[in-house]
Amino acid sequence: MDFLLEILKGFGALARPDVLIAMVAGFAVGTFFGAVPGLTSVLAIALLLPITYSMDVIPALVMCASIFMSGMYAGSITATTINIPGAPSSMMTSIEGYPLMKKGQGANALGHAALGSMVGGSLGALMLMLLLPIAAKLSLLIQTPGKFSLVLFALVVIIIMQRDTIAKGLVTTLLGIMIATVGIDVMQPIARFSFGTETLVEGIDMMPIIIGTFAISEVLYQAQLHRGDIQAAALRAGAALIRRRDFLPPLSELREIGFYTYIKSGLLGYGIGVLPGVGGSMAAFVAYADAKRRSRHPEQYGHGSREGIAAAEAANNAMCGGAFVPMLMFGIPGDPTTAIVLGVLVINGLQPGARLLETQTDLIAPMFASLFISALVLVPLTLFLLGPYFVRIVSIPKGLLYACIAVVALVGSYAATFSIFQMALAVVFGVLAFFLRQQHYPTVPLLLGFILGPDLEQYLRRSLSLSDGNPIVFLTSPDSLFFLVLTALFFYFMAIKPLKEAKT
Amino acid sequence: MAMRRLQWKNRLLLPLFLFVLTTVYIAAALQIQPQFSEGLVGPGFMPLVTAFIMYAALARVIWNDLAEEREKPEGSLLPPFLIVLATILYIIAFKPLGYSAATFLFVLALFHLFQFQEGQMIKRLLYAVAVTAIFYGLFALAFGIRLPTLIGVI
Repeated sequence: MDFLLEILKGFGALARPDVLIAMVAGFAVGTFFGAVPGLTSVLAIALLLPITYSMDVIPALVMCASIFMSGMYAGSITATTINIPGAPSSMMTSIEGYPLMKKGQGANALGHAALGSMVGGSLGALMLMLLLPIAAKLSLLIQTPGKFSLVLFALVVIIIMQRDTIAKGLVTTLLGIMIATVGIDVMQPIARFSFGTETLVEGIDMMPIIIGTFAISEVLYQAQLHRGDIQAAALRAGAALIRRRDFLPPLSELREIGFYTYIKSGLLGYGIGVLPGVGGSMAAFVAYADAKRRSRHPEQYGHGSREGIAAAEAANNAMCGGAFVPMLMFGIPGDPTTAIVLGVLVINGLQPGARLLETQTDLIAPMFASLFISALVLVPLTLFLLGPYFVRIVSIPKGLLYACIAVVALVGSYAATFSIFQMALAVVFGVLAFFLRQQHYPTVPLLLGFILGPDLEQYLRRSLSLSDGNPIVFLTSPDSLFFLVLTALFFYFMAIKPLKEAKT
Repeated sequence: MAMRRLQWKNRLLLPLFLFVLTTVYIAAALQIQPQFSEGLVGPGFMPLVTAFIMYAALARVIWNDLAEEREKPEGSLLPPFLIVLATILYIIAFKPLGYSAATFLFVLALFHLFQFQEGQMIKRLLYAVAVTAIFYGLFALAFGIRLPTLIGVI
């Protein structure tokens, strides 16, 4: 009950001018970054991370939540209008949205995408608020060996989700873990891997890794691919076809899609969001495949199915709520965006766990409220107000865009700690991430390995200390055994079975 | 055939670099002296396990890469290299030249590398001034961050 009251107060906090500005500004930034192909909400939050050092924790978290929601939704804009998903999670939307665009029904497709995002996003945020206290109680039941197995489970899921590049995903995860071991040991007051330098004794901060991996590497990657602003003509042609009056989907189409599709896709998205490292793309894909399987008109899929758009968008936006659960309760980020939000929490001295809900709900409740309001109010409002101009907004020249990103990334790195070393470190990680991306290594596991590595080591060593070095403790502790079995099942169904099926 | 061999070599560079990095890491891990004994699982245990799994993963990556026919990465490495160079110079000049001058020159360099407003120098200069001023406004004025200045002026 107290928790629900705090949540209501969180909605009240959104009325504070600084918090409201943070939410609306975050939503605008997220929409822009989500809509521009090549930019993502992860990059938006990464660039804003240094700025959050000089902000209060509530506006900072509120801004992160609205960026997350808007970035997820905005990917559908260019996916529909020019067949280039603004974010990877909008791939399914482009398959169905672009054929509608070609038929002159682009505004209708954008309307369905916004409605799906609105319903899914609101549902995900509601589920987060309702189920988080239960997750908190469950988290208290997990003891140290169980925590080790849970983190191990998260890392294994993150790696096997890389599908075609599992070995490369493992390499980048391990690289993240190795980087995290630099500095003071997690259990003993000794420095590791400092190579005689005082700077490395303090360890490597999360910020240069985030800025380097997501911002600097993006600038370098785009510089390599740069072919001028070739989309300008396509964008202008697309803009001419979008009219505000066509955004509202007719009731007959909504009836055909059915309320059940929205709800089921939202629940699927939320559930997938809870799994660490899975993300919006998988949520959209699973919900889309499920909707297609039970559709009355499967023949429409691939040729402009509104049901497909609704399912994919409801799922990827509902994922946002789910992704907060493991991050807030266990410090395990559900996806790269929540990994950076975790950084914001840690910077402000907030530690994930059940106690966060007991003692600091007043700080995180506005973030939940922002997630809900962003989905319910800002998604449709943005479409209505800015819809006809979206396409022009995203046609900003690349040279200008990436120069701005480079300046924000570098000056932001400096501003956070007033350290030239941090700026240089961001460039080092940027170059490393650029070469990793160039050779098709996924870079998100590097960040997640960096975040989860110290927890994995700490829980392993604590568990073994408590059991006199007997590793059987991981099998005799019920919670640990549960997560180990879950890990084995995931590994079999997500890695071994597809391999077997591919061979046959 | 010669082209394919060259692509092979390029693909091997990154795993080879990571291999060397892991070897240096193992050497450093072996030198960790714990303050008190925790049995087998001390401060050096996790780094060593991580490094050995890294070796196995790198071997698998090399094996996969050698078996796979992949297209050459699109684009030249020269623009990213020049951007890294410009960034290094920017970082070096950031404190001595101050935010305004260093950022203006850096933005101008990036505009050149991204061919933004090519052949329109005045427009390019104006855009560079605008970008420098906007982010000065964001960092220094909106968030109150003290940025370095040139001889205490700008």
